[in-house]
Amino acid sequence: MQKTANTVIIGGGMIGCAMAYELALRGMKDIVVVEKEYLCSGATGRCGAGVRQQWGTETNAILARDSVKRFEQMNEELEYDKDIEFKQGGYLLCAYTEAEWTQFHKNVELQKRLGIPVELVTPEGAREIVPHLNIDGLYGATFCGTDGHANPFHVVDAYAKAARRLGVVFETYTEVTGIKVENGKVKGVETTRGDIATPLVINAANYAAGLICKMVGFDLPLYPQRHQALVTEPVEPMQGPMVISFSRRLYCQQTPHGSFIMGVGDPHEPKDFNINSSWEFLEDVSRQVISVLPILKNIRLVRQWSGLYDMSPDANPILDQVPEVEGMWVLAGFSGHGFMVGPQTAVLVAQKITGEECFMPIERFSLDRFRRGELLLEPSVV
Amino acid sequence: MKQTEILVVGGGPAGLCAASAAAELGADVLILERDSKPGGQLVKQTHKFFGSKKQYAGDRGIQIGDFLLEQVESNPKVEVWPDATCLGIYEDGVVTAEKDDKHIKIKPERIIIATGAAEKALMFPNNDLPGIYGAGAVQTLMNVAGVVPGKRVLMVGAGNIGLIVSYQLLQAGVEVAAVIEAAPHIGGYLVHASKIRRAGVPILTSHTVKEAYGNDTLEGAIICRLDEKWQPIPGTEQDIKADVMCLAVGLSPLTELCWQAGCKMKYIAELSGHVPVRNEYLETTRPGLYVAGDVSGVEEASSAMVEGRLAGISAALSLGYGKDKAPQLQAEALAELKELRSGPTGEKIMNGIMKLLGKEGAAC
Ligand SMILES: Cc1cc2nc3c(=O)[nH]c(=O)nc-3n(C[C@H](O)[C@H](O)[C@H](O)COP(=O)(O)OP(=O)(O)OC[C@H]3O[C@@H](n4cnc5c(N)ncnc54)[C@H](O)[C@@H]3O)c2cc1C
Ligand SMILES: Cc1cc2nc3c(=O)[nH]c(=O)nc-3n(C[C@H](O)[C@H](O)[C@H](O)COP(=O)(O)OP(=O)(O)OC[C@H]3O[C@@H](n4cnc5c(N)ncnc54)[C@H](O)[C@@H]3O)c2cc1C
Repeated sequence: MQKTANTVIIGGGMIGCAMAYELALRGMKDIVVVEKEYLCSGATGRCGAGVRQQWGTETNAILARDSVKRFEQMNEELEYDKDIEFKQGGYLLCAYTEAEWTQFHKNVELQKRLGIPVELVTPEGAREIVPHLNIDGLYGATFCGTDGHANPFHVVDAYAKAARRLGVVFETYTEVTGIKVENGKVKGVETTRGDIATPLVINAANYAAGLICKMVGFDLPLYPQRHQALVTEPVEPMQGPMVISFSRRLYCQQTPHGSFIMGVGDPHEPKDFNINSSWEFLEDVSRQVISVLPILKNIRLVRQWSGLYDMSPDANPILDQVPEVEGMWVLAGFSGHGFMVGPQTAVLVAQKITGEECFMPIERFSLDRFRRGELLLEPSVV
Repeated sequence: MKQTEILVVGGGPAGLCAASAAAELGADVLILERDSKPGGQLVKQTHKFFGSKKQYAGDRGIQIGDFLLEQVESNPKVEVWPDATCLGIYEDGVVTAEKDDKHIKIKPERIIIATGAAEKALMFPNNDLPGIYGAGAVQTLMNVAGVVPGKRVLMVGAGNIGLIVSYQLLQAGVEVAAVIEAAPHIGGYLVHASKIRRAGVPILTSHTVKEAYGNDTLEGAIICRLDEKWQPIPGTEQDIKADVMCLAVGLSPLTELCWQAGCKMKYIAELSGHVPVRNEYLETTRPGLYVAGDVSGVEEASSAMVEGRLAGISAALSLGYGKDKAPQLQAEALAELKELRSGPTGEKIMNGIMKLLGKEGAAC
């Protein structure tokens, strides 16, 4: 393994790989991505892979809106030899409570102002979009046709291949065990396969970002939380959009090859690193999905799994340097939507690091917001 | 939630023997079997078994299966659930199963996994053409469902399964074009090989499948010879016409439940793949979870039965049953296993088990 680098990126998921590509694209040489297991082994390879622009905070909405444009062009832009399977079937957000319906009106106003093609639809309108939707008790829904989902394995593969062509080196099965700091400056990383001297470390370790920050004595305001998902047998294509109900904690999409991927959030989930699957999840998600999409009652399940969200206090990411440790960046706190905002998050941070003009003020994602109490509270999360 | 003292997953020879042994010592046992008839591989084995009298040598597999099933069914402490597939073993100790289209939850005090093994596939172009089967699957098709797979078969693999299934195909009136084997020698018993040769079927060692062909279904395969380094020798290709190809290239332990249950796993080539690490009494690294039979290393029905018995006794003893008798019974089972593994094939298994127990190089 090499002994020195210009930049070491910790984590080979969506964020680490996109970051490596965007920095290399801007001419940075000698970048090493260090990944504990294999690329996509973390949350990215376990995610629902939904891409939506319908957010309740401007920050999330802009990152997602601009990332959609990148997903649309990704096969060409990254000269990918396969297909990232970006399917723009839209997202249908269903309001089964009055409070949701009120919030959705506010969200739509914000989204429209940002040029996101979203509309409020009646229950009947929602049923036209998803014919098997249960509209009993439905107040209404919002729909954005350019939302969708992609295949996270292919997206990461596309970024990693493009980054490799630009000279980025990937060291898999290599765990970062320590960070060297001298006089308030990063000097290198220690790994299970040797040390790498570097002036710049990018912590893209998601749920483990807090552990990495602890290595330099900084307490990142994040906590890990398990989220479970499952995939069904493939059936005839019948559902264009991802269907979401916040009050029923559910998201559910049909992939291009016909299987459904779905998950529910569990409000009682403890804050820890456990990623074992549970049988309770299977029963919970079945009940919820049948209440929203009754047609799925008899579908067979193929597999269940789980992964970790990196929850930040306001469900918006933290894109900042660690205080008093020069050269130590952290990109974490994506709170369950780091896949969809990944492309533009990486652009924003790469612009900042290489001294380019940023397409939006990166300071909005600073750590300082927690100290100042200026949280970007995101209301729309599963 | 269904409660039981000992849950046995898999009703093959290992699982049935485990259930009997545990119930005889007084434990309540529930067996889950995904097939409609328990018996495992035995339900299709119409041939006579080898080995020692104690493990029913001379009887046909199918008879042994029926006998083992009667034994459990006559014991009121054992409940058998056929058509019940075990789906998962979770961290809270709950085991789930699918039965009658329902998601059933079971809370056992001990678990014995006896899920057997699955047939291996082989990589070559067009290996997904209809007409290409596992040899064991063809045996089930013929001997359980009474259906012949086609007219002319190419058998790949000359171990016991390949040889026995070839012979049974001939008995069923199906033509066997050839038996090919990648190794330089026949792996199965010579009695089986001789019977096939006498029927005029060539057994070609150092041969493999280069590719299969056919429009909608299999029409034939190109085979070729291999050199000492197992590399294809150019110019040795032969075209074999066949509408069926049977792959008898080994089995791998069916360990998904062990992985999911968090058992420590180890790759042991002699035992045919990844197997759970376990102690002499077949308890894995997950306390209270035992394994027996092919799932703990692909071997034979004879040893599967004894392992089943050993796991059943050990699980029952750990619950406090048979304190006086059990140690003696365990010692007997261990002695029988040692005896069964004393031959030349047993030596390989013993080496594998020693590696698993972390006692490499120890005399056995
Ligand atoms: C069930 C589930 C559903 C989700 N659904 C969606 C969705 O629909 N849409 C969406 O946008 N997002 C979704 N997410 C969130 C999304 O998966 C994440 O936000 C995103 O993948 C984060 O990317 P990442 O690169 O930061 O993290 P990861 O993919 O987790 O990558 C971090 C990597 O760091 C590595 N690592 C950790 N510690 C070390 C160390 N010490 N040394 C070296 N490497 C280390 C890990 O092995 C890991 O591979 C979902 C997440 C889950 C769990
Ligand atoms: C053609 C052939 C010839 C053979 N000849 C001989 C011989 O002559 N002598 C000899 O000693 N051995 C012979 N064997 C080997 C012998 O059949 C096996 O070693 C033996 O059957 C292994 O027993 P087992 O109980 O471990 O597994 P199996 O017999 O495979 O039984 C496993 C059982 O578990 C069930 N199961 C699996 N997963 C689940 C689940 N999730 N839920 C519920 N149930 C499940 C399966 O349906 C099956 O019934 C032969 C094998 C074959 C294929």
